[in-house]
Amino acid sequence: MKRDESIIGNIDWGLAIVFLVMVFMGVANVYSAAFNPKHPDLFDFSQKYGKQIMWVGISMFLGLMVFLIDASIYRKFAIPIYLFCLVLLVIVLFMPSVNGAHAWLGIGSLGIQPAEFAKIGTAIALASYVNSINVKQQNVNTVIVANIILLFPMALILLQPDAGTFVVFTGFLFVMYREGITYDPIVLHLVNLIPGVRFKSTWVGSHFIPILFVVVFLSIITLLMSNNTIHFFLFPGVDIPGFYGVIGALLFMGVATYLILRFFASKRERNRITMIVVIGFFLCSLISSIVNFGFQGLKKHQKDRIELFLGLREDPDGEDYNRNRAMAAVGSGGFFGKGYGNASVASVESNHVPESETDFIFCPLAEEWGFFGSLVLICLFMFMLFRIVQIAERQKSRFNRVYAYCVAMILFYHFAVNIGMDIGFAPVIGIPLPFFSYGGSSMMSFSVMMFVLLKLDSQRGDVLG
Amino acid sequence: MNTDARRYVIIVFFLLVGSIYAVRLFYMQVIDDSWTLRAQEIAEKRQQITPPRGVFFDRRGKKIVANKTYFNLMMREADMKEKFDTNAFAKLIGWTPIKVKSRFWEIKLGEGRYKNPHTGKTTSNYQKIRSYPFVKEMSMEEMANIAPYLQNFPGFYEEITSMRSYPYANAANILGYLSEVNGDEVKEDRFYRAGDNIGRAGLERFYEAELRGVKGIHYIVTSALNNAIEPYANGKYDTIAKQGPALHLGVDIVLQAYGEKLMRNKRGCIVAIEPNTGEVLALVSAPTFDPNLFVGKRSISKNYSRLINDPAKPLYPRPLSAEYPPGSTFKLIQALTALQEGVIRPGTGFPCTKSMVGCHNHPNARNVAEAVQYSCNPYFYYTVKKIIQQGKRKKVTEDAPIGLAKWTKYMKSFGFGVKLETDITGIRPGLIPDPAYYDKWYGHNAWAFSTIRSNSIGQGEVKATPLQLANLAAILANRGWFITPHFVKSVGSKGPLPIYRKKHYTMINREHFDPVIEGMRMVVNEKGGTGSQARIKDIVVCGKTGTVQNPQGEDHSVFIAFAPMYKPKIAIAVFIENAGFGGTWAAPIANLMMEKYLKKKITDKEKEKHILESDLD
Repeated sequence: MKRDESIIGNIDWGLAIVFLVMVFMGVANVYSAAFNPKHPDLFDFSQKYGKQIMWVGISMFLGLMVFLIDASIYRKFAIPIYLFCLVLLVIVLFMPSVNGAHAWLGIGSLGIQPAEFAKIGTAIALASYVNSINVKQQNVNTVIVANIILLFPMALILLQPDAGTFVVFTGFLFVMYREGITYDPIVLHLVNLIPGVRFKSTWVGSHFIPILFVVVFLSIITLLMSNNTIHFFLFPGVDIPGFYGVIGALLFMGVATYLILRFFASKRERNRITMIVVIGFFLCSLISSIVNFGFQGLKKHQKDRIELFLGLREDPDGEDYNRNRAMAAVGSGGFFGKGYGNASVASVESNHVPESETDFIFCPLAEEWGFFGSLVLICLFMFMLFRIVQIAERQKSRFNRVYAYCVAMILFYHFAVNIGMDIGFAPVIGIPLPFFSYGGSSMMSFSVMMFVLLKLDSQRGDVLG
Repeated sequence: MNTDARRYVIIVFFLLVGSIYAVRLFYMQVIDDSWTLRAQEIAEKRQQITPPRGVFFDRRGKKIVANKTYFNLMMREADMKEKFDTNAFAKLIGWTPIKVKSRFWEIKLGEGRYKNPHTGKTTSNYQKIRSYPFVKEMSMEEMANIAPYLQNFPGFYEEITSMRSYPYANAANILGYLSEVNGDEVKEDRFYRAGDNIGRAGLERFYEAELRGVKGIHYIVTSALNNAIEPYANGKYDTIAKQGPALHLGVDIVLQAYGEKLMRNKRGCIVAIEPNTGEVLALVSAPTFDPNLFVGKRSISKNYSRLINDPAKPLYPRPLSAEYPPGSTFKLIQALTALQEGVIRPGTGFPCTKSMVGCHNHPNARNVAEAVQYSCNPYFYYTVKKIIQQGKRKKVTEDAPIGLAKWTKYMKSFGFGVKLETDITGIRPGLIPDPAYYDKWYGHNAWAFSTIRSNSIGQGEVKATPLQLANLAAILANRGWFITPHFVKSVGSKGPLPIYRKKHYTMINREHFDPVIEGMRMVVNEKGGTGSQARIKDIVVCGKTGTVQNPQGEDHSVFIAFAPMYKPKIAIAVFIENAGFGGTWAAPIANLMMEKYLKKKITDKEKEKHILESDLD
């Protein structure tokens, strides 16, 4: 009896409520995006919204199960769970392909996608492994083992092929970064081969992951913007080449960061902050310029390949069909949107945005609720992410902390890539928007992931570090 | 190593991406309008309201091109009953059930397919929620029989369209016709959508941009929650359709109809121009066709191939496109040029020697006027020789190019050898040879006047269209200038286009016209003149006959004239193919046309009867 009370009392209601709000919004959004006037009943299980409600019900049931099981089970059975996921990933490769990928286990709409659940399994395995080693002991071996834990599912997912989920797995590198498992031992190993050099750590090696992330993010944005022109409302009628827009945005962000940090920082730190911001700005601009002009200088066939990959082609009715439709749906939303159920581009009836209830679920939302709704969505995700980081940092158990960070990074990647492709900031790779996209596997896997986190957090007191 | 501070790196990343996305979304959704426009474009949720085309009036305010209401039977599959009774429907519209079924397939397949390169799925462009015309261009009577029963067939409804009608079955070659746009035209000009009509020839094509008017756009939204069509943003962005302005033509439809009647069973043209305005009064191309044959897809497909394959070429706009040698009418400008150049004087005479060129029997011409009256070939041989060979160089072959270059300029100032900027399609320039032309044929300095002498009597290389000959008549009537012949007096109430207000002066001074025009008067009104058939009681007609040698068959009969001699009201050119001597056929037809226009009645009924009954075809 005491235990039940402690669960209820220890649940992080902030996170739980945001989660439930998102699920509710998600169902409402699927109802609009997949609406069929011949079957207007929300609970019509022949329709996607009816099914989505069914998936939510199943997810809640799974959540209940998670709450009834003691949290220590995940740590204890981490390796079997991980191996089970790998086995599913292998089996799925022998399944018939749907839309060109061997991603589905089971038949039709009742099938599941093992890749969605492999994220949880990998997160648990990584948490378990990191928990087992001492930070101070980290060496080449620990880095390699941690990477191997990621590599198996990643390789299997790439075989399906499912580029989107593959990309999501790179989010775990951030978790490792947070835990101090970086590529520094490998870098050191190489650097110290040079006679006379004896480093204990290198800055580049330690921060390799975030640096790589910044470089990749900046490069993609630079490339995506290099073909565009920006019409800035302060200078009407002036076309600003996309590249200068990127530099301008960097400058703006640098100044803003400087001003904000200056406001909070002590006098002693000001010089350091100024230096970091200035150097950061110049390094980012340099990367952006190298990418931009390097790209311009490429041979045509090389350019073609990159453009094809990023969906950069100015071919709104061909190669760029999906993205163009998606961006038109989002961009036409205006400030307050066209109103619920009034999407004209992303509606299932007009069918201009393909997959508007799954991968492009943000389109009907942004079109119907406008910038206001989009901002609410972004704020909800931001709140959820910050809350999870906060939860992670209060864990005594390293297992719990790693797991919580894994959840945060998975959600962040899904959020960033999914919305990014609707606003022209990410290549079109299909991954669902957590709690919003229609689909049983993603609904269940994200819910279970969230419930496990809530459960772990609620029992954080029982677990000894 | 303490890595706790690294949480801030992760938080900063979240914040960075979150805020960049928020800014980007603000830019896309609130600031930048282009995606909103793109969305409208994609969703195709605009109803275009095509206004009726501008109508045509003739010079006396008679409506000669009108719009008539027709009906399309539209189909929208989404509204159709699941069990569609093909037999009953076929019976209603008077088709066979097989034809109804194949029409369904025709519509579906006709829309083509689209392959989405990302999903690899191929989908038909046909959409159940869109409306397609099932039967096009039904008359009001046809629709009235069907309409009461359409309620038994949901998904079918009537739509009003407008098509041309021609109260006078005349002037087909001037007016042109409409037909549906093709794929390239839709791509080229966003105004058009599949199924729209576009002007195909004549004035309909030339004034397409004015006549088509301004389309109205009604933005509509079909919401995902209810199928009802509702105006987008309460019609804030809607625009109203505007009918194109009416075209007020200079054409006199009564005269045009009379000309077409006279030209029945003959091949050739009549072009009549009001000299002081350049307005075309009538432009007859024979044989011609009834413009009502080219109204709507059904009748075009029925009649087009028959008319295009007719050996008499009724679709060919002869007055504008046919380039004939001008024959003796060309002598008039030779006389004018020679007078301007000072190589002859009004009183200059040449004997009719017949040694270099043949001639008919007539007294020797003692002056320019008589030369015109007798149309003396040797006279103009000598005259043009004096223009071409002015003795600027010793060798004739070096001298001739200098003279010919000058001569070419004179001819072009009369609108010969250049494309007149008349407001119609199908205009041809004719041909006025210049030195380079003969250099190409004979070599540099390898030719002289003797080589090219046929041009002096309007044969040889020179070619002119009947429109250019009528313009020549107008220049003579105006004594030295012309306004480019044009059909449209006024687009709406704007008046003629600026280019039709400008007087073009020839290189001939005013005074040189008098002896030539006196000659033209004598052609018609004096004994021994070649054009006595053109005489009108109480009105002094000035004219010039021509007989164009035709190696393929009978000579062509030509006559140009203007009347009255002072303050002329009409200038005319008549060209009858394979009709022989100019005075016999072309002159009386010109006579009847001028009398009809000037007096509104015909005095010489015998002449009229003779022309009407003659079959020269």
